[in-house]
Amino acid sequence: MSANRWFATGNFYTTYREEQRIFVTHLDRLFFSLLLIGLFAWPLLVPTSNRNMLVINNILIAVVAVYGLNLVTGFAGLISIGHAAFVGIGAYTLAGTAGAIGESHVLITHAWPLMILASGCMGAAFGAFVGLPAMRLKHLYLAIATLSFQMIFSWTINFMTFFNQGQMIPVGRVFWINGPVGRNEHYLFWYYVILVTAVACGLGVRNLLRTRYGRCLVAVRDNDRAADAMGMHPGLTKVYAFALAGFFAGIAGALHTYMFRGAGFESFTLHHSIIYLAMAIVGGLGTLPGSLLGPVAIQILELQMEHLSEWAGALLPANMNLATAMRPLGFGLVIVLFLMFEPRGIANWWRICRTYLKLWPFRY
Amino acid sequence: MDMTSAATRPVLKVVDATLDFGGLRALNNVSITIEAGLITSVIGPNGAGKTSLLNCVSGFYHPTRGDIFFGERRLTSSSPHQVSSLGIARAFQNIELFRGMTVLDNLMLARHRNLTYSFLQAVVYFGKASRLEAENRAVVEDVIDFMELEPYRKQTVGSMSYGIQKRVEVARALTLGPQLLLLDEPMAGMNIEEKEDMVRFILDIQKERDITVVLVEHDLGVVMDISDRIYVLDFGQVIGFGRPEEVAANPQVIDAYIGEG
Repeated sequence: MSANRWFATGNFYTTYREEQRIFVTHLDRLFFSLLLIGLFAWPLLVPTSNRNMLVINNILIAVVAVYGLNLVTGFAGLISIGHAAFVGIGAYTLAGTAGAIGESHVLITHAWPLMILASGCMGAAFGAFVGLPAMRLKHLYLAIATLSFQMIFSWTINFMTFFNQGQMIPVGRVFWINGPVGRNEHYLFWYYVILVTAVACGLGVRNLLRTRYGRCLVAVRDNDRAADAMGMHPGLTKVYAFALAGFFAGIAGALHTYMFRGAGFESFTLHHSIIYLAMAIVGGLGTLPGSLLGPVAIQILELQMEHLSEWAGALLPANMNLATAMRPLGFGLVIVLFLMFEPRGIANWWRICRTYLKLWPFRY
Repeated sequence: MDMTSAATRPVLKVVDATLDFGGLRALNNVSITIEAGLITSVIGPNGAGKTSLLNCVSGFYHPTRGDIFFGERRLTSSSPHQVSSLGIARAFQNIELFRGMTVLDNLMLARHRNLTYSFLQAVVYFGKASRLEAENRAVVEDVIDFMELEPYRKQTVGSMSYGIQKRVEVARALTLGPQLLLLDEPMAGMNIEEKEDMVRFILDIQKERDITVVLVEHDLGVVMDISDRIYVLDFGQVIGFGRPEEVAANPQVIDAYIGEG
């Protein structure tokens, strides 16, 4: 390694371990640390309304869910249009337990980290089960199989009295060290929980991607015949990819339930599956930064479109219903434009910026 | 040659293998024996069943009748990942690399079996995971060095030229650390210089790495020059076997190739 680990512009590795590092220069590490400190500190410095906090929490929950979707669709190349159902599995694992043992049972209110983890595991189990067709099916046929899971999920939740037929199942307030988390600090508390989860999951995924457990996903995406010849079972690798996706979705679902203090069917519909897919595509399929950038971009887009349609509603004649059409229209337009002009997503812009800054002020 | 003592030990035996695709008989009672340490070539006109034979050995097809033995181990119904973990590596005729990955990652994937850390160790990337990654990286670098792929290490495979991709394909098979290497037309579509390079690599693989090589190739000049044994297939049947000079003199082989009836 060169003496200067702050502004190294080339590769100066002398051992393979140096090359394994996530942060190549000290500057990278510093930026990341500052970003983390910023994310943890800003709610204490800037008072934020619960409404805005809710939006931010929603983005972070989507980040956790999109980690999973990006692993299965971006890295392993298996299109999943039932991701919201996996999120729902996590949410209903928690809500169902709350319904069965009481919403203020000690398990729900005190052992909530355990419940979140259990929801993740339940998501993984369902993911593995739904992934079984991937051993035989490919491409669009597999996508239809995941779609059918979404349908089965909707049907089950809507018709079973155990799940309150899709109506809200309440979940009690959780406890922190100094007693129950009250109404005022509820969103702030969950902001920190979700942030810690998102960062931990992100680092976990980043680590996975530089080991055999991440490489095998890309291998089955690029060439599953060759993957077979390399000594891995391609079918089981695909099932594993779905289990991984289910795990992150399950965790996101449990966080969602805790934050909204209950689970209702309307948060886990096909529409949400499509939105998750849009987040992964706009962020950048098969990239880790994409899982972060996609949810942020899509959520902001949705809010802006909402403002825009409100504003347009005042101008346009009401009987044409143009204003209500603007949201899905703008949403669809963005996805189409991304697929056409930047199929590698926002993460590609991020990559271009990084490579430019690495050598700045020199051109090459 | 000191090969003669080792030459009596068979590593791979295909016994009366027959492979049917519906009404089409791709292999018909094929029996071959691959001896340790030698380069054995399988030649024959197009559609003779050469690639089908390799596919049977590497587990992509299973013979309808007959048996395949690797040492003592019966391979007849093994799947490709089982075969590869036993020590048989395969380079494909149509390049089957992981196109979206770098050369380095392609080769690291061949070390999949040797990276024995657990999932949790991988998630935290601590201790065994980090150590094994570095150790296997050294193995990969050794192969990169051997196959002279240093300039391409970090390039995405999909963006490289055909000749180099073929070389990566062979390198990836080598990285598996096999006893037996199956090369399916490693020189197809190459220019004369690239062919010469590839021949040199194959000879080095045999001599320096002590790996038994099975070569399927159409370039008869190359085959006659570097093979220790040759099997000739035609219409799914073995029509000739022996040292290059014996095969070249075999009237049946001449008949199949030149086609005098």
